[in-house]
Amino acid sequence: MAQSGHIELRSVTKRFDQTLAVDDISLTIPHGSYCCLLGPSGCGKTTILRMIAGHEAPTAGDIRIGGESVVGLPPVRRGTAMMFQNYALFPHLTVLDNVAFNLRARGVGKAERHQRAREVLAQVQLDQFAERMPAQLSGGQQQRVALSRALITKPRVLLLDEPLSALDEFLRLQMRGELRRIQRELGITFVHVTHTQLEAIAVADLVVVMEEGRIEQAASAHEIYTLPATAYVARFMGGQNVLAGTVISVDGGAATLVDGTGARFATPVKSMTPAKGEEISCCIQRDRVEVEKLRAPSPSLGEATNVLAGTVHAIEYQGSYVKVTIDVPGREQFVANLAAHAFLIAPLDIGDAVVARWATENVHLLTGDSTKTPTGVRPPPLEARRDGSRRR
Amino acid sequence: MARSSNGRPWTFYALAAFFTLFVLFLYGPMSAIFILSFQGPTGGLTFPMNGVSLHWFKALVAQQRSGDFVGSFSRSIMLAIIVLAITVVISIMAGLAFRYRFRGATAVFYMAIASLIMPGLLLGLGVGLMFQFAHVSPAWFSSALGAQLTWTLPFGLLIMFAVFSRFNRAYEEAARDLGASPWQTLWLVVLPILLPGIIGVALFGFTLSYDEFPRTLIPIGSRNTLPLEIWAMTTDVTSPALYALGTLTTAVSFVVIAVALTSIAVIQRRRARRQRRRTDEAEAGSARTGRPPGSVRAPTRSGDA
Repeated sequence: MAQSGHIELRSVTKRFDQTLAVDDISLTIPHGSYCCLLGPSGCGKTTILRMIAGHEAPTAGDIRIGGESVVGLPPVRRGTAMMFQNYALFPHLTVLDNVAFNLRARGVGKAERHQRAREVLAQVQLDQFAERMPAQLSGGQQQRVALSRALITKPRVLLLDEPLSALDEFLRLQMRGELRRIQRELGITFVHVTHTQLEAIAVADLVVVMEEGRIEQAASAHEIYTLPATAYVARFMGGQNVLAGTVISVDGGAATLVDGTGARFATPVKSMTPAKGEEISCCIQRDRVEVEKLRAPSPSLGEATNVLAGTVHAIEYQGSYVKVTIDVPGREQFVANLAAHAFLIAPLDIGDAVVARWATENVHLLTGDSTKTPTGVRPPPLEARRDGSRRR
Repeated sequence: MARSSNGRPWTFYALAAFFTLFVLFLYGPMSAIFILSFQGPTGGLTFPMNGVSLHWFKALVAQQRSGDFVGSFSRSIMLAIIVLAITVVISIMAGLAFRYRFRGATAVFYMAIASLIMPGLLLGLGVGLMFQFAHVSPAWFSSALGAQLTWTLPFGLLIMFAVFSRFNRAYEEAARDLGASPWQTLWLVVLPILLPGIIGVALFGFTLSYDEFPRTLIPIGSRNTLPLEIWAMTTDVTSPALYALGTLTTAVSFVVIAVALTSIAVIQRRRARRQRRRTDEAEAGSARTGRPPGSVRAPTRSGDA
């Protein structure tokens, strides 16, 4: 068995009866990297994980680990180990026997397998809970047992299905750092499925944003967050305002577009130059927006670009910054994240008439359908995820 | 509101009276039989008691004119054990199979359940006719066994459905993920987790067989099971030996139920006790090392569910 945890999906498709769960996906996950599959429920991320694990077979396409096709091989022969959602610890076995299960299946004698399981448990400071039943452990302890049980197989790839969703907020933040540290220490590939944006960008080298069985974007966390490829990614990750309109002129490396309300935006165009009359979309990061309070309401903006006028809808203090939501007539709400110290010098109040401005060089051109929004109608803002994490 | 002085609504008393009637109906006849089985040697089939003795229990075993009690009792127990074994094995296998929507699953299911709805006497008649047609003489271990299985298998199947519906398949996948073969997954993970439910199926199989009457009546052949023997006795035995028999068989049923419930409790207690004993050791150990046993425990426990 090759030891490399380099994963390659080649045109992988999975159908369940008539439902297309995964639609012709190709993806390379380098050996020793931490990859997060991110998307709303039903986007196919768990199906991909289960196909890599060998718990589902792809309908079409090839899955390679360490350069060899693993389609049809049982999990153990793939060198993968999976940590299940809610851990699936065997309820009738002690913590020690749970961790030693792989050795038992391989026919290792009782004394030796218990000895080795104890060593692994000691590494996660759970040795004194070895004789407990899983139900008698806290959520965080169960998670460490599940991790130990998977790692005792010495996998080259560890697959984690929503590993933090069963934990409360405090433990979730603690454990995601812990997972990252363990991944670094072992130097193996981690593939982590989550629906939480912050969790993904906090731990992953490679973030794969998925939607309806396809990959919207696979890139580093920083790139996904600051340079989203599509309007979907920009909206799903939050942190961006999406602007769409029709191109009216292209010159000097920048395109100017006008939207339905007559507002004009300019965006730098790099490799791809849009044609005049084309519908395009771009985005501006929320913390690159300046907000100015107006003396008189509804000024005429004329032909000014990258300016929107509106009234303050909500103000949320977030510690290092203040989130200002602005109602702009005729379009979706616009959000500016203002540095907290600057906000305190020139504070705003709900109902204030304001204009928002930004520089063309901070605008980022998007590709694809600008109207596609994440399921659940409203795009989940990144900030909201900090306290509004989903409970089972 | 119509409330009596101590604040309980009248419905409380109505329902309490109803429940009392129910308990009287349930245990009244049983108690009468139980008491009358200790009738004195000169006593009759009805109250009053004419002294207290174990005379009629002795008369039972002595096999005077009170039928073949020992023979029919041992046949019934043997048959119930065979039925139990077959029901458990087939119900587990069917429970495993029905988790997949195989072709014709619904048809197979309704065919299995149909024998619950069919009148038992007719079913027994059919089995008897079939054996006669095939020129095989009916016996308790062949035709009667088959007739009883038509009764216990659908029950076992329905219980296994309930048991499997609560079984999380992630356990099987986890076992597979950790390198267990299909047999290891079944022996080390699936069956131990389902064990309490399996004991339930065994209990049902045994008791349903042990007091089965209508299906067994016709295909039993020449040697009776206990319920059939009791039936025969009610027509020609006119002594309290009949009551002694009732007391004994009821006692056997209670013993079987007690054994099953105890074994479930023991399994659960053993798991818990093993934990407690080892935790005590761990605490003793941590006392030596000075590390409190709960030191690694997470600060909040709201995520335990």
